Amino acid sequence: MPPTASLDAGPAGDLPLAGEAKGKRTPAATTLNWQRESARAYGLGLAPALVVLAAITLLPLITLVVVSLTPLSLTDPAATFHFGQPTGNYAQLLQDQRFLDSLWVQAKLSSVGVLLQLLVGLGLALLLHGESRLLAGLRTFFLIPMVLPPIVVALVWKIIYTPDISPLHALLEQWGWPVRSLIANPDTALWAIVAADVWQWFPFTMLMVLAQLQMVPRDPVDAARIDGANRWQVFVYIVLPYLQRTLVVCALFRLIDSFKAFPLLYVLTNGGPGTVTEVTNFYGFIQAFNFSYWGYGSAIAVVMLAIIFVLSALVSRLGKNRGDAHAR
Amino acid sequence: MHAETWHNVPPSLPLWQRAVQGAQRHLRSTAAVLVLVLVLLPFLWMLQMAFRPAGDALSLDLVFSPTLEAFAGLWQDNFARSFGNSLLVSVLSTGLSLLLGVPAAYALSRWRFKQRRQVALWVLCTRMAPPIAFTIPFFLAFRWLGLLDSVWGLVLVYLTFNLAIVIWMMQGFFEAIPTALEEAAWMDGCSIWSAFWHVTLPLTRPGLVATAVLCFIFSWSDFFFALILTRTQAVTAPVAIVNFLQYDGWEWTKIAAAGTMVMLPVLLFTVLVRKYLVHGLTAGGVKD
Repeated sequence: MPPTASLDAGPAGDLPLAGEAKGKRTPAATTLNWQRESARAYGLGLAPALVVLAAITLLPLITLVVVSLTPLSLTDPAATFHFGQPTGNYAQLLQDQRFLDSLWVQAKLSSVGVLLQLLVGLGLALLLHGESRLLAGLRTFFLIPMVLPPIVVALVWKIIYTPDISPLHALLEQWGWPVRSLIANPDTALWAIVAADVWQWFPFTMLMVLAQLQMVPRDPVDAARIDGANRWQVFVYIVLPYLQRTLVVCALFRLIDSFKAFPLLYVLTNGGPGTVTEVTNFYGFIQAFNFSYWGYGSAIAVVMLAIIFVLSALVSRLGKNRGDAHAR
Repeated sequence: MHAETWHNVPPSLPLWQRAVQGAQRHLRSTAAVLVLVLVLLPFLWMLQMAFRPAGDALSLDLVFSPTLEAFAGLWQDNFARSFGNSLLVSVLSTGLSLLLGVPAAYALSRWRFKQRRQVALWVLCTRMAPPIAFTIPFFLAFRWLGLLDSVWGLVLVYLTFNLAIVIWMMQGFFEAIPTALEEAAWMDGCSIWSAFWHVTLPLTRPGLVATAVLCFIFSWSDFFFALILTRTQAVTAPVAIVNFLQYDGWEWTKIAAAGTMVMLPVLLFTVLVRKYLVHGLTAGGVKD
């Protein structure tokens, strides 16, 4: 380790020299001076970013909350500063069956999607974990779905789910099992979306688990093997406990992100058929940008923010307890 | 870093057993290749479609003579303009985020002030918020400011996530650099920021490049903001694709070609920053 003692005390500790060279000030005064000087310099570096960040995050947040307290809509510009019924939108949300349904759709999409992503990601990580060059090279290719722009992912699956041109449908037909478009069928539409979502995001879990697998210490594994444990027992009793926290963090991350799913829904089903794939995010989007009920749409966004805030608090608590470094 | 792993073959095993396990390892590689092909099949299907002649799009024949017809068609449809918009927005927003974010990250990594944790946390929170929470206020504000359908509007919006990525990632890179070198520069009479510019920043160049590339990828890939905040002038490539889907009567080869164009820079860049990818994607939350 290089001498970094000054990290916490500020650079002042062992650096009285800047002013001392001039031979005019006492060391103590110089230290104070340097502290002040460095604070000013750092402050100057930090300030522009914080000002911009405040302008583009705090201002919108405040606007969002304020708008959510008004009945602002395209047809009623006068409602901009109308605060007669501040909780009107929220009261309406509780009675809005379409909103409540969207929460249920969201719950189904998120829970099944995240669970499958964990399973597939974990499975593939175990398959790809090893020191062979080939496996290491393959890992990169498994990342492709995750790094593709979401619109391309949506496009890929649009092709798969469009019977005329889909290799999937062609195969099924050849096997004597023709099905109609999975995304046009209310019974399967949501699961078709989940499948595409899992395809897109399993690499996330895979990557995190692979990173964690490298930190599994050898000794307990060797000891267990010598004691006669088989592979399965080693996995369940030794490896899995090491992965536990990584898996939980992955799940929470994906859960948070699953609330934002948009391109897949927009391109594949547009919330339909009917409203079977309409998640909360999508419903908020429709209320705000299709129906121009900005006040109502904002209220939906505020509710989502609250949900995500709770989940994020959970993540950061888990992150804090993780003694080892976060997955890289 | 230990390269050895928990299921590896202990060298003390008898030869025949090692042979069996070696075979098993090949089994594993074979299985991995098969799974990979299966996983990438949907993606590869789109890719091959982009190179088919337009009349042949619906055919499931795997044998065909590849053509660039679809790409040429895209050119005629003014896709180049949206592509240019995407490039412009991504580059501008990446540049601006670095300009604002790098000094801030450096200050956060070196300056121990009281609210440091809260500031860092606030920066990270922006990653978690749902985009819809930003789009409604931005849409209303842009309508008022006349920024709807403008490149600069998008650049501004992309700062919300890019700035957070820059600050978060660069902070990590700066913290990994020992302060001793800077201190030496200070003693030689450098100011804090000139020491930063001449000593610290050059040392973090790989990190800087990775951060820039990630910012570029995220701006390039955005669909949601661009869909809502652009109409005709500032339309980016991802939104242009959706317009193909809606108006062009399902010209599948063209749609596939557009998809190929959009993913190309991302795939190229990803190879460059593979190592830092998870870092960028998990920005927030796990970092303490």
